[in-house]
Amino acid sequence: MNKKIALVLILLFGAGLNSFAQTNSTPGAPTAGIVAAAKKFLATLDDAQRGKVVFDFKDEAQRKRWSNLPTAIFKRQGLRMGDLTKPQREAALAVLAAALSPQGYAKILQIVEADEVLRTSGGQTIFGRDEYYVSFLGQPSTTEPWMIQFGGHHLGLNITLAGEQRTLAPSHTGAQPAIYELEGKTVRPLGRETDKAFALLSSLNEAQRKQAILDFQMRDLVLGPGRDGQTIQPEGIKGSALTEKQRQMLLDLASEWTGIMHEAVAKAKMDELKKHIAETWFAWSGPTEKGSAAYFRIQGPTVVIEYAPQRLGGDATKHIHTIYRDPTNDYGLKWWKP
Amino acid sequence: MVEAVTRTLWRLPLLLALLSLPFAVFAHRDDQYLQATLVAIEPSGVRLQINLTPGVAVAEQVLAQIDRDRDDVISKNEAAAYAELLKRDLTLRVDGRNLKLKLTASEFVPAAELRTGSGTIQMEFSAIFGPLAAGPHRLTLENRHLTTISVYLINAAQPRFATVEITRQKRNDNQSAGEIEFTFHPLRR
Repeated sequence: MNKKIALVLILLFGAGLNSFAQTNSTPGAPTAGIVAAAKKFLATLDDAQRGKVVFDFKDEAQRKRWSNLPTAIFKRQGLRMGDLTKPQREAALAVLAAALSPQGYAKILQIVEADEVLRTSGGQTIFGRDEYYVSFLGQPSTTEPWMIQFGGHHLGLNITLAGEQRTLAPSHTGAQPAIYELEGKTVRPLGRETDKAFALLSSLNEAQRKQAILDFQMRDLVLGPGRDGQTIQPEGIKGSALTEKQRQMLLDLASEWTGIMHEAVAKAKMDELKKHIAETWFAWSGPTEKGSAAYFRIQGPTVVIEYAPQRLGGDATKHIHTIYRDPTNDYGLKWWKP
Repeated sequence: MVEAVTRTLWRLPLLLALLSLPFAVFAHRDDQYLQATLVAIEPSGVRLQINLTPGVAVAEQVLAQIDRDRDDVISKNEAAAYAELLKRDLTLRVDGRNLKLKLTASEFVPAAELRTGSGTIQMEFSAIFGPLAAGPHRLTLENRHLTTISVYLINAAQPRFATVEITRQKRNDNQSAGEIEFTFHPLRR
């Protein structure tokens, strides 16, 4: 994907023009398309680069080597985007474009672009588009399990594929700045998450709010990077205590994470969430005024989503961390772990 | 003297790198010590899984509590002593009765990794509360460890046993203290 198209994607989705996603997606994109894109990317590399980008599928250290932190603090492995030629970078991004939905891909570009804004506004080279890493665990395959990792500051995408089954869990998205101007347009990489969460909160009546709102500070993600395998007791309001409309709003909010993946996979995940909606909890901590810096969590049998504004370093609404997990299938474990 | 100079020189690249980091990096919990505790309640006792992550700006302050001889190596004795220090700052009670904590596991990352702000020390303490009566119980945990630089998270782990049911969780505003109400159902499978 060239830079011009990427810019159009960033701006269109930043402006909330979701119809673009529907008209340009490829329904049911099979794993074969992602494998083809991955092989095409590998073909652009020399032997030394290929040796750096592909890890053994059983490499647990690499599987867990992802973080919210910038590369100067948390060292990634794989290939650094800044060390690739333009065709190689485009081929690497094409792998993501094949695996993700158009809106999911645009969100990723917006997060990376936010880091570029951080670099250009602060003049620091440790941020920016160049500081993202791509790696594979296992060889791209339509039958054997393998994994795509793409990450850097405020981004840790872990896509596990096993035949036609795919999962994004666990993955981290974040943004700083969480709102910026690009080509005269306002971009909010996590804007829909924020708006939908406040809409859901404002739909709750007083009794529901009493259940949903936690009376203590949540200063960080509980199940963020490095917390694999942990499960916590759900809190807040249970889906069974929500109205049908509120349940739809909760699902719509969750779709901002499940919908990062290509629609074929996202739909299956959403069907699963719908099945468990009565046992899915919504919790809130912090101020309730629209647009303020507040934490929320969605937790059900097969999903954990957290959204945590970071109160350090200025305006917390402009620095967001989120996590997406599946407590039953992080890294697609149930598909390949004996 | 030579050792001290060597240590300083060894740290120099890291210090220079940290000094070169902009304000935005320091927005990543640089000046706080994150102490995240998961409380796992089981039929016969409690396990506290604690993850300790010092930010860049407070890492030296935390390391001063651990690496007592300042040789940049966290020895087994120093790790054990720090675990003891932390244990003294924790108060765990069930139904108002103080429980004795025992260190059951710990993993210390190297001092250099702690200084980056990405290193996490993991500790697990356990306590046995003996046979529990069927019905409701109340567990409280207070963490007073390095309060001036710390932020806290306390969460009940989802029980692994059907006999334990978490019914309510409460915390104080900064989560340095938490209360977990649970019911013990000995006949449940």
